[in-house]
Amino acid sequence: MPTLAEKYELLGCIQCGRCTAGCPVALRTFLNVRKLVYEGVTGPGPKDAKERPEAWNCTTCSTCTERCPKGVKPMELLIGLRGAAIEKGRVGPTIRDALESTFKHGNPWGRIRDKRMEWAEELDVPVAADGEAVPLLYYVGCTPAYDPRCQDIARSLVRVFSAAGVPFSTFGTAESCCGNEIRRMGEEGLFELLVEGNRELLDSHEIGTIVTSSPHCMNTFKNEYGDLGCEVVHYSQYFDRLLDEGKLSFGGSVEKKVTYHDPCFLGKHNDVFDPPRRVLECVPGVTFVEFDRSRERALCCEGGGGRMWVEAEEERGERLADTRVKDAVALGVDLLVTACPFCLMTLDDAVKTSGSEGKIEIIDLAQLVAEAL
Amino acid sequence: MNIVVCVKRVPETAEADLKIASDRKAIDEEGLAFQINESDNYALEQALLIKEDLGGEVTVLTAGPEASEEVLRMSMAKGADTAVRLADDAFADGDAVATAQALAASIKEMEYDLVLTGCMASDDGATAVGVALAELLGVPHATYVVEMEIADGKAVVGRELEGGLVEKLDMKLPAVVTIQTGINEPRYASIMGIARASKREITLKSASDLGLAAAVVGAEGSRTQILGLDYPPVGEGAEILEGTPAEASGKLAQVLKEKGFA
Repeated sequence: MPTLAEKYELLGCIQCGRCTAGCPVALRTFLNVRKLVYEGVTGPGPKDAKERPEAWNCTTCSTCTERCPKGVKPMELLIGLRGAAIEKGRVGPTIRDALESTFKHGNPWGRIRDKRMEWAEELDVPVAADGEAVPLLYYVGCTPAYDPRCQDIARSLVRVFSAAGVPFSTFGTAESCCGNEIRRMGEEGLFELLVEGNRELLDSHEIGTIVTSSPHCMNTFKNEYGDLGCEVVHYSQYFDRLLDEGKLSFGGSVEKKVTYHDPCFLGKHNDVFDPPRRVLECVPGVTFVEFDRSRERALCCEGGGGRMWVEAEEERGERLADTRVKDAVALGVDLLVTACPFCLMTLDDAVKTSGSEGKIEIIDLAQLVAEAL
Repeated sequence: MNIVVCVKRVPETAEADLKIASDRKAIDEEGLAFQINESDNYALEQALLIKEDLGGEVTVLTAGPEASEEVLRMSMAKGADTAVRLADDAFADGDAVATAQALAASIKEMEYDLVLTGCMASDDGATAVGVALAELLGVPHATYVVEMEIADGKAVVGRELEGGLVEKLDMKLPAVVTIQTGINEPRYASIMGIARASKREITLKSASDLGLAAAVVGAEGSRTQILGLDYPPVGEGAEILEGTPAEASGKLAQVLKEKGFA
């Protein structure tokens, strides 16, 4: 049985603290990832590792891992600690319910599979037939499929594909959770089960490109599923390409001052910073203002890493999404644009909780583009 | 403290558009996800908590088809020590009493201090198996239990009554207790845990293994019989209050006052 130090290659840690210094939630929770690495090196093995409830506050933004000067991956250790809690069955009921729902219904939201395409009711959305070749697969994702606020992202994407004259297909109700958040929550077994099922489905079609609504789906398909034999992009990258190739043009304009929030899984994890900005700059009428904390330094909204289903432990101070919305209001913009369904939901809620209603609107890049078509 | 937990595999019907099967005796199960009966899950958790506190063994028992074994595996992944499935065509389509006959015959072969089961199965809603089981075993029972303490070979249980009242009972063990949801917070069974549990043995018992005549169990041994299932009639009486939120809430307040709720 490898020790935690062996399993997560922790011995390189020099305890410099750059990880914790960069951790966005360290400001407002008791999560101290540097200390967890120290305990991993000096402490007992995973089975006897002390229970760390604050490990559930991590958003897996990967700032710690990006900043480590010694190539240590504190985020992986943290996911491992979560995994140890999961194997003991000791997780909060909301986490338990999300995991059980994903196993039973293929989505963490407790909704049944049969209703996964309800978002497309008034549209004509193609569903790939068995074994059919799919040059462009639109992987909708659980959140845009089921959440009322985010269903508009999916509808907007379909409108843009239509306007660009790009044929595409979805997997309809056969589509299942990509597992990105499942893996981040530490349920390795469920993640592997999802990968197995999804790979079987993906491999049974000849696919040219997979386009996702969510950076989370893109992240796991691209980096953790092995060789899928096709390219995987987030829709912001695909729109950038469409604009570059002259396949997309705008008939209208959006006369608004906007800023852009870099989702952690698009930016920090996958270095996709410029394509969404290029798309924004193409939308007529838009005046773009950068956040001070932008790109790699973007302030995590606290929606990732399973946080959508976690009752956070012992929080203090202001939620990061509230700070982000207030910063956007201070910039004097009308719209805060993002490109991730979790960012959209957390920032949208934060408009209310930060008392910024009427001062700013949160919108997804896909919705903005669709509006200006 | 040796505990037997009786569990059932049931369909999850929350959002589903249910269809009645062509023979009108059951629902069409196609496309439904299956899981452990909700209150049985709470009973299992209660058994595991007692085991963690007082030691002993937890046996999980079900009467059902082969597919039911997934519920037994999940229970073992959570910590149950032994799993038994009553596997025999003779057991099929039994009502609450016929099912209890089979379960009782199996439990009589075990050494037990406590039998736990859910207060109600979410598919048929009979709420009778636990009570019939106690009668057949000749032990006391308590139903809809939301509080439980075990000490010195006795159980002190709280039964959920209406209006938030809880009835406290002293019970000598062995006893049968049917558990209401909310008594605890069930743990999670990981996929890897369930995979490991798949390698463990599930004991199968047939009617003849248990010395049961076919006439006593299953459809033959049932005192009640389903004549047919029908959809509830589409009724009237649902009124949609139109208008802006301010207007609609005004109308709602009026309705509540008129009907005596406010």
